Amino acid sequence: MPMYGDLGNKLVQHAKRTQNLTHLPPYQTELVRAVTREVRDLDKDVASLLEPFQGSFDPSADQATACTLLVNHLSMRRNKRCLLAYHRTRTDKLEELVWNGSDVLDLAGQQAGGVNGAAADSGAGSSLSPQEEDYFRQYGDLLSAYKGQWTDIDLTGSLEPPRDLFIDVRVLKDAGEIQTEYGAINLTKNSQFYVRQGDVERLIAQGYLQKLG
Amino acid sequence: MSYYDIDAILTDAEKIPCTFQVDIPDLGYLDNTPTQPLKAGTKVNLPLWLAEMLAIANTGDVEGKSFVSFDLPPAMGNDVVQALKADPRAVPLRDQSAHFYGLAIHMMELSEEQELAAALRKTFVTRASEVALHARKVGGVGQKGKGEEGSNLGVGGAGEEFLRGLDEWERKLFRKAHDGAKSGKEWMEGVKKH
Repeated sequence: MPMYGDLGNKLVQHAKRTQNLTHLPPYQTELVRAVTREVRDLDKDVASLLEPFQGSFDPSADQATACTLLVNHLSMRRNKRCLLAYHRTRTDKLEELVWNGSDVLDLAGQQAGGVNGAAADSGAGSSLSPQEEDYFRQYGDLLSAYKGQWTDIDLTGSLEPPRDLFIDVRVLKDAGEIQTEYGAINLTKNSQFYVRQGDVERLIAQGYLQKLG
Repeated sequence: MSYYDIDAILTDAEKIPCTFQVDIPDLGYLDNTPTQPLKAGTKVNLPLWLAEMLAIANTGDVEGKSFVSFDLPPAMGNDVVQALKADPRAVPLRDQSAHFYGLAIHMMELSEEQELAAALRKTFVTRASEVALHARKVGGVGQKGKGEEGSNLGVGGAGEEFLRGLDEWERKLFRKAHDGAKSGKEWMEGVKKH
């Protein structure tokens, strides 16, 4: 028996699954659209139900209509909650990814490659909605601005105390020139360096460098 | 429980048996007959998010009756409760409802069933200590199961059947207890090394 709210529930089940994943599964564009459409339809129903009353509806005089209105209202409210919770679960995840230093582009690549092939059906595009990509970018800007207040502390640095101050790294992707305390290093693919861990932690997390040994 | 709580939202989708108290022409679809009016006395299973409000909303007439009356869901039916009273650990709650306790809390808010409430409370307490026991076993004796990340419920061994029957709340409890024991152990090992 398909009922109002069923689609919203599906969305929340997606959210539930998302909570236990490390990556972000594809955005459910179709489902979100269907739930919003349902709300719009319900709203139309309410408007046409109330129309004959010309703004002077008395619930106790017409219980059947009052009940139908209540059911419609509750269905809309339910859908709203499902939609908000779904998006909130995803933005929470996005914020987490920003703090971990992931890249939207990286993310898209990872999705298309399909960690276990599951995300392959999302097409070549990103698993984020355009709005989510905006959110991701702007949250990233906010975080950088916040971090900029402290030049001697890296807020997103690793919490693990390093065993060695310096490490050997190999460059997996060209990462350009970086500035360190000991001068500039030009990170070209396949080269190897002995560098201070703190200087390159971010680049390792982003997959530009690989730690050796 | 927050507005955004995914488990709370899923709990709200659990259905309970309701009986309509008034004729409602436009709601036939709730009884799977969209073209027919919904007659007073019709029994329909409604999700909590709908049933709860319909049950407490006043129709506005003098007797102050509600749109629907409701019964306890089968998950809280007499045979289940009797089984729980006999041995809470022997009942796979998950088969009754994936959100058994969440559902129970809602039902207890709607009705005054002192005896049922007491039985459920005892069920939780008894099962919680059993859950904690299993969780520590998995975390303590060097990872013999595949109980690493994600679902820790494929542990194998004696408790498997019991753990399979945990409802969502108990699963969370299990995971917390398990992760806690594991982190504790890891920390101790770290202390020894340095």
